[in-house]
Amino acid sequence: MADPMADPMADQAVDPTAHRGARTGRRRQLPAPHTLLGYAVLAGTVAAYAGFYRHQLQHFPTPYDYTSVIDAALPLVFAAIGQSLVVLTGGIDLSVGGIMSLCVGLAALHLDGGPGGVAGWLVVVPLVGAVAGAVNGVLVARGRLAPILVTLATLSVYDGLALKVLPEPGGSVSARVTEVLANPNAPVGLAYVALAVAAWWVLRRTRFGMNVYALGSDEAAARAVGVPVDRVKVCVYAAAGLCYGLAALFYTATTTSGDPNAGNSYILTSIAAVVIGGIALAGGRGSAMGAVAGAFALTLVVDVLFFAGIDQQYEAFFQGLFLIVAVLLGSAVTLLARRRKGTS
Amino acid sequence: MTDTVRRAATGGWSRLGGNARRVVYAFAGAVAIVVVGALVHPGFASWASLRGMLVLASFTGLVAAGQMFVVLVGGIDLSMPWVLNAAAILLTTTTLGQDSRTLWGLAVALGAGLAVGLANGLGVAWLGVSPVVMTLGMNGVLEGLSLGLSSGLTCGSCSSSAPPSVRAAVTGYLGGIPVDLLVWAGVAALLSVLLSLSTFGRRVYAVGNNPRAAFLAGISVRGVTVVLYMLSGLFAALAGVALVGYGGQPSLGLGDPYLFQSIAAVVVGGISILGGRGHYLGAVAGSVTLVAIVTLLQAERVPEYGRSIIYGLVILAILLAYGREQRDD
Repeated sequence: MADPMADPMADQAVDPTAHRGARTGRRRQLPAPHTLLGYAVLAGTVAAYAGFYRHQLQHFPTPYDYTSVIDAALPLVFAAIGQSLVVLTGGIDLSVGGIMSLCVGLAALHLDGGPGGVAGWLVVVPLVGAVAGAVNGVLVARGRLAPILVTLATLSVYDGLALKVLPEPGGSVSARVTEVLANPNAPVGLAYVALAVAAWWVLRRTRFGMNVYALGSDEAAARAVGVPVDRVKVCVYAAAGLCYGLAALFYTATTTSGDPNAGNSYILTSIAAVVIGGIALAGGRGSAMGAVAGAFALTLVVDVLFFAGIDQQYEAFFQGLFLIVAVLLGSAVTLLARRRKGTS
Repeated sequence: MTDTVRRAATGGWSRLGGNARRVVYAFAGAVAIVVVGALVHPGFASWASLRGMLVLASFTGLVAAGQMFVVLVGGIDLSMPWVLNAAAILLTTTTLGQDSRTLWGLAVALGAGLAVGLANGLGVAWLGVSPVVMTLGMNGVLEGLSLGLSSGLTCGSCSSSAPPSVRAAVTGYLGGIPVDLLVWAGVAALLSVLLSLSTFGRRVYAVGNNPRAAFLAGISVRGVTVVLYMLSGLFAALAGVALVGYGGQPSLGLGDPYLFQSIAAVVVGGISILGGRGHYLGAVAGSVTLVAIVTLLQAERVPEYGRSIIYGLVILAILLAYGREQRDD
């Protein structure tokens, strides 16, 4: 949704240089300050994790710990990448929960059979996500409805489909699938993150990537210069759905079973990851890599709390506080940057 | 400057025509669903059945009131689920089920709602945090505090239930009408007066339509925004009190369904998500529509997955039907 609080404060939150850079498509040497902040937040969280870990166990986290952290974070990482694509166009996707639940149900039912069938379903599940996402995109683009409302409605539809596919928690996943997707003894998780980073690096340099930023910065202007706005939107929502499907595969591989409500918690956490990663909810500014950093930071916070000996009941409290503080830090950084620019 | 204010005010009056039209559409939708229900399911429109639906709709209607206030200025309140839940827990743990402590309990529960709203409003209006982020973070903060401070609702006073007076105010009858419905009717009347006849109402629409123009017209945009978020917190807490009066005891996750319901009721009621357009009476009709759809599907023994799918499709259909109208004005 477009920033509705168009009061004087809201304008100050927009970094004019980042905005212009995105719109003209000029390649920047450094990521935008907000994305950098996402990396800084992640670095701080990793440091806190290592610190508290050492405090508890008298040694630093082992590679095994890091691979398990990465495996645990993968579903949120991919959900956040999908969400970030939608947010970059100025939208928001609440149906991430429904699409993930549906895909988790399909994965839990079909990823425990012969190798041929399993390989087929590893492809089909993300495609189901992509189709569900494309439906969102068509409704947003052709129906001209607010993304938050469309995805609120389709969330209910996809939740229903998920319940139809897998009425209650269950299903199973063959050990081979877990070995391939979430092996704690080998850094396969890191490889998937690297693949995602590489895919993003290529995508944002394509015409499609530029169109996404153009659309998010100023839809009317993008339309005026000939960006096929409707087609780009459908593709963005479909790509987001594909990411949710992949997230569902990683979720199922890690938990080795399915749950028709599996996706619910990813609605708010994926938005939080995107915001911590420095992507502007108004669209057009930020990077999916920030969302990846945000997703890792949010996942790590849970481990930090564990090693800090804090009651798990307070987990949501610290995640919420973490989100607000990270965003306030972002505003402070922007203000400082403006001040410095103003004096020089 | 006074001239500008007056012009803003007259603009408000002419727009009321559009708002009235939206309210009529929303009520027509609610009536249509009930008529369809009565046709396919005899007894659906009986007083007993309608009464049950209206009581359920009143809970949605209360959260929708809060959501409407922030949506009218283009904001959104995602902290409603745990404001509601926290208020429900606070009411029972402070009253310990005793009537003598009811007032104290109500003050604590509703005060907490106001305080959370104040924090949200200050964050949005003064610190420039996006409403989605501020209220999403606040929801997490409240969830963690509710779980942590009550040790997952296992604390000593957590097993107490709502005092009889609060229960009677929700489930009791006055002249054959549930007291809860009378309260809701009172809230609807009060909010209608507030929105349509008071200066504050005019300011809300002015800020929602064009914050900059409202600011230049001498309206404290930030002040209005903060008050609206406080009202949102207050109504979420009120819904929590009503729900715990209805059910007797609070549960964890009590408020979870009400976030999306509040947004859906507001939108089905013809209140523009972009702000500045709509009226509480529309949200009332929207709440009734949503509850009527779910009740009808339950009466038809549609399985849960089917209910969820049809619910989503109906909201989509309503959105598409409204979409054109929203673009035109």
